[in-house]
Amino acid sequence: MSVTVTPRVPTLVPAGTAVTVPPRRSLIARVADRFGKALLQICVWTVGLFWLLPTVGLFIESLRAPADNSATGWWTVFGRPARLTLSNYLNLMQDKDILGSLWNSVLITVPSTVLVVGIGALAAYALAWIDFPGRNWVYALTVALIVVPVQVAIIPDAAVFRTLHIYGDVPAVVAFHVAFGLPFAIFLLRDFFAGIPRDLLEAARVDGGSELGIFRRVVLPIGRPAIAALAVYEFMWVWNDLLVALVFADSAHAPITYQLLSQMRTFSSNIDLIGPGAFVSMLVPLVVFFSFRRYFLHGMLAGSDK
Amino acid sequence: MTGAGKPFEGPARASTATGTDPARDPATTARRRVAVIPRPTGPDRPDPARQAGPPATVRRERRTVAAVFLAPALMILALLVAWPIARTVWLSLHDSAGQHWVGLRNYITIFSAADTRRALLNNAVWVAVAPTLVTVFGLIFAVLSQRVRLATVFRTILVMPMAVSLVSTGIAWRLVYDESPDRGVLNAAISVVHDVFRPASPYPGARPRDATVLSAAGHGGYASTHTFAVGTQVMLPLVGVARDTVPGGAVQAAAPGTTNGALSGVVWLDFTPGGGRVGAIDRGEQGLPGIRVQAVRDGRVVASATTDHAGRFTFTGLHGSGFTLALPASDFAAPFGGVSWLGPSLITPAIIVAYLWIWAGFAMLIISAGLGALPRETLEAARVDGASEWQVLRRVTIPLVRPVLIVVMVTLIINVLKIFDLVYVIAPDSSQDAATVVAVQMYKVSFGGSLDKGLGSALGVLLFVLVIPAIAFNVRRLRRDPS
Amino acid sequence: MSRKLQHGAAIAAVALAMVAGCGITAEAGPGSAGSDEGGRSLEVIGEWTGAEQANFQKVLNGFTARTHIRVTYTSGGNNVNILLNSRLTGGAPPDVALVPQPGVVAEYARKGKLVPLAGDAAAAVSSNYSDAWKRLGVVNGKLYGFFFKVANKSIIWYRVDDFAAAGVRPPSTWTDFISTSKTLADSGVTPIAVPAADGWPITDWFENVYLRVAGSDKYAQLAAHRLAWTDPTVVRALTVLGGYFGTPNTIEKGATQLTFTQAIADVFGQRPKAAMLYEGDFVAGEISKLGAARVGGDAKLFTFPSIDGSAPAVVSAGDEAVQFRDSPGARALMAYLASPEAAKIWAQAGGFLSANSKLDLSAYPDESSRAMAQALVTSSLVQFDMSDQTPQAFGGQAGADEWQLLTDFVAHPGDPTATAAALEAAAARDYGSRS
Repeated sequence: MSVTVTPRVPTLVPAGTAVTVPPRRSLIARVADRFGKALLQICVWTVGLFWLLPTVGLFIESLRAPADNSATGWWTVFGRPARLTLSNYLNLMQDKDILGSLWNSVLITVPSTVLVVGIGALAAYALAWIDFPGRNWVYALTVALIVVPVQVAIIPDAAVFRTLHIYGDVPAVVAFHVAFGLPFAIFLLRDFFAGIPRDLLEAARVDGGSELGIFRRVVLPIGRPAIAALAVYEFMWVWNDLLVALVFADSAHAPITYQLLSQMRTFSSNIDLIGPGAFVSMLVPLVVFFSFRRYFLHGMLAGSDK
Repeated sequence: MTGAGKPFEGPARASTATGTDPARDPATTARRRVAVIPRPTGPDRPDPARQAGPPATVRRERRTVAAVFLAPALMILALLVAWPIARTVWLSLHDSAGQHWVGLRNYITIFSAADTRRALLNNAVWVAVAPTLVTVFGLIFAVLSQRVRLATVFRTILVMPMAVSLVSTGIAWRLVYDESPDRGVLNAAISVVHDVFRPASPYPGARPRDATVLSAAGHGGYASTHTFAVGTQVMLPLVGVARDTVPGGAVQAAAPGTTNGALSGVVWLDFTPGGGRVGAIDRGEQGLPGIRVQAVRDGRVVASATTDHAGRFTFTGLHGSGFTLALPASDFAAPFGGVSWLGPSLITPAIIVAYLWIWAGFAMLIISAGLGALPRETLEAARVDGASEWQVLRRVTIPLVRPVLIVVMVTLIINVLKIFDLVYVIAPDSSQDAATVVAVQMYKVSFGGSLDKGLGSALGVLLFVLVIPAIAFNVRRLRRDPS
Repeated sequence: MSRKLQHGAAIAAVALAMVAGCGITAEAGPGSAGSDEGGRSLEVIGEWTGAEQANFQKVLNGFTARTHIRVTYTSGGNNVNILLNSRLTGGAPPDVALVPQPGVVAEYARKGKLVPLAGDAAAAVSSNYSDAWKRLGVVNGKLYGFFFKVANKSIIWYRVDDFAAAGVRPPSTWTDFISTSKTLADSGVTPIAVPAADGWPITDWFENVYLRVAGSDKYAQLAAHRLAWTDPTVVRALTVLGGYFGTPNTIEKGATQLTFTQAIADVFGQRPKAAMLYEGDFVAGEISKLGAARVGGDAKLFTFPSIDGSAPAVVSAGDEAVQFRDSPGARALMAYLASPEAAKIWAQAGGFLSANSKLDLSAYPDESSRAMAQALVTSSLVQFDMSDQTPQAFGGQAGADEWQLLTDFVAHPGDPTATAAALEAAAARDYGSRS
């Protein structure tokens, strides 16, 4: 397991390790070195602890009775761990709004991811391997759309969805996510597909394969790493989105982020619902994150390689 | 992409918009070794299609296929991205209902109305502070994580916040920032430190019953309004102490009785249910033990005493008159009350810290990749030349990874320009105005109470204009990158 | 719990923005849950969530049991209006909605989105509600709705033990109230928690003081902005309020970061920090939920004190039932909601006050709610929550100008004149944009 992006690069030896210390250094220098290293370890793990704190706090609050949370901080639990309870989670399982919104999140996230990957892959293949006039322009325009802020489109898009009678419903949210997910998907996949050895494709073409056949049998299998990276990335994006849902979904079709935000209105009294809700909503992306960590990080880093 | 929902949205995209020419830049070239996605092997030819020279019929057929393959994507992009951009520009020049032409009035409003100006100002603060802060921390963590055991665990911990929605993050940070030291972990931590340097007294919040006897003397202490001579007995009535918090052992207050050659008095809790007589000891009113009383003359403390369990104190060995009695602030030190992190004045810095928490892991990863790809020989050479680690970092490492740092910075700048969720979720209602940024304002103006699509569109266009440099960069790079 | 209890920035869909002026199409969009052809299934939208939602569901079940018409309830949470706007935009309004702001109802009525009450429903309202309440449902001479659930917002809750320790009794005049607070402070407790992180409790504070300082007529004029906020009566009310808030050792520290629900916990929770809390009857439910204090035992209430000899007055709020679609089922549901039988179901469950005069007060589970309900039903001096009648941008939502300015006023109560001027400037802008 490795989070580093350089897992296969053997030259990655941490600088300043013993290798670099000349043997002739004095005792004092070595003691200082040892001391410095210990200090370093302490520093680093303090940072790590600090980074865990907000999440741990939220988790513990989600396991405490609401009356406890409004009176004392979560850390007091270390004195009285017996006061932890699963009742918030049990209540959550009874809460139709939260459960419904989790399901809405699935209904929004899965189609969005599939569509972005599917439509994006087709377009990326065409842009990478089929010659046609204006190809570079199409590609350039698509790439230009990558950083377009959603704000510049939400008002007219709401009107579009209204005309289509999907406003407030799941398809509207999905359509918007697909639209704004495509430019990056095309960019990422085209870039990757372009690296496929030409001979492979030419061979398939010579064998009389149709373009669709080549796409399915050659491009998609080879492109799996990039497609997986994109899919994981897209999944997390859509799952965690708030703004698009806020604008295009009504409360009956609200995903979990939206639902949590509306529950936050009564923040302190609803922490018994928000705490576990937020934690459950974290679980899905965290599971995806740990299962596909490599892909996720690749997706994130894809741009910086370019 | 979206300005908001996607925590890890900006980077990948933005990074496409930046960086240096890989062909010419050694660091970038080096970085290519750490191929992010293991590419299929083969010649890295950017324009594979052109190389083919198939017959015309095949070309035509392929064009049809290309059209079919591209159609869904292009239709969606045209309908839901491209056309809406034009429509938004058009709307931004019209009134709130989108019916009457108003020219640039909406844009003028952006720069003249107080709330949008505040949003612009906050966005400026964000852009100026957050990307730099995150990059600096990312660099520090990247360097540290190279030298630490279990680096992967450390890195995983730091990257994890990125996988979580900003709404959940916001909820977690609302808890961290709670103003009450009883509930907010940050204020609780400060409270511990605070109490070490300024321990809380048993009587926080205690105050004189009667301003004619004692008055505030700065820093939370009190001093008598009159001066006294030896042989007098001074009554110092206090209130504001809950009876059940008076230390055990306190008994009915009692005047010490006049003693010649001494200055004496009593400090007591001058309160019985209903109030009791002001400045007189009623039955049931307890003395306040353990209060330090100072006798001051000519601005100098000449003696001090501590009250007994009946609240009595006596100064012996004093002569003459002109003594002021003072109750120093340490008698009343209040426990730490908590910093109002989410109040209007600290709200933006507070949210920026939460932002740092989310993004530092990202910056660390990218920078680590850059560091890992540095030519080790150069670093070794510098070390052998006797450079200290700090010098190596400053003179060699940082210049070498600069292109990567720029990638991270630009990525974050674009992300920060569009920031929405974090501000919207963390800032409580009473601080929303103080924390507002352009994207939040756009949402509120368009979909909140005033439903002004003209002004909302103008704000959308403004955001668009702010990221245009990045778009231009994207396209330019693309063309320079032979394609 | 009031609508505003769950206020906050605008959530929910967009809608109206896009379509201002567009007509409402008749066909149901995909978002519509209810109203199939046979009229056998209805949809109701309201603000209630959680326990309140469960209680309202009981009321609806009562209807289904009688008529065999299925009713689905959709919660709009704190932003019922935005949900309704969005539904209207999509051409799929609910059959019936319970709208917390009469101002919004009036807007819908004027735009022709509502069905005026007729037949059984109108008859039920006319026989079950007092004139003071009926008037509130009339727009342009037509009856469009009635208040199903109402709140008494002229109540101050207090801790019985703190009052006993300080030796004070519930005050009835403002002067008493001030001296009571001082005595409480002297006894070593913080007299009162003022949750200024949420703007709406402060607007309610102001409204109670204003109604007592300026009287009912001026109150109505100010609500309609026919009276300027710079009027001396406003300055006087702010001076009274600011004088109290500004008194040292009176309000709990950190007021501007104190949310309403946290304030309830700070007064009636495990670790009490203050002795009193001003807000409506709905506080009772929250106190019970915390489980540390018993309403009627440890937590009692007194009515908002009279100022300069003002007559007893009630600031109220409530959810107004209105009908968006006409069908026999929807009409039957409206008539049912206006009946004492429907009110009784929730009244017995607690946390509910009805303006229905026919509801037997014995339906209420405890003495305090009975007293509050009686004041509401019989009082001829009922004024509706002012901020609920103003344009949303002024007093109707999180971040609204009045909320923000009054929150600032709690933090800096020193200059009532300047606050009044700022309120007037905001009102001029916000009321202007509505027309």
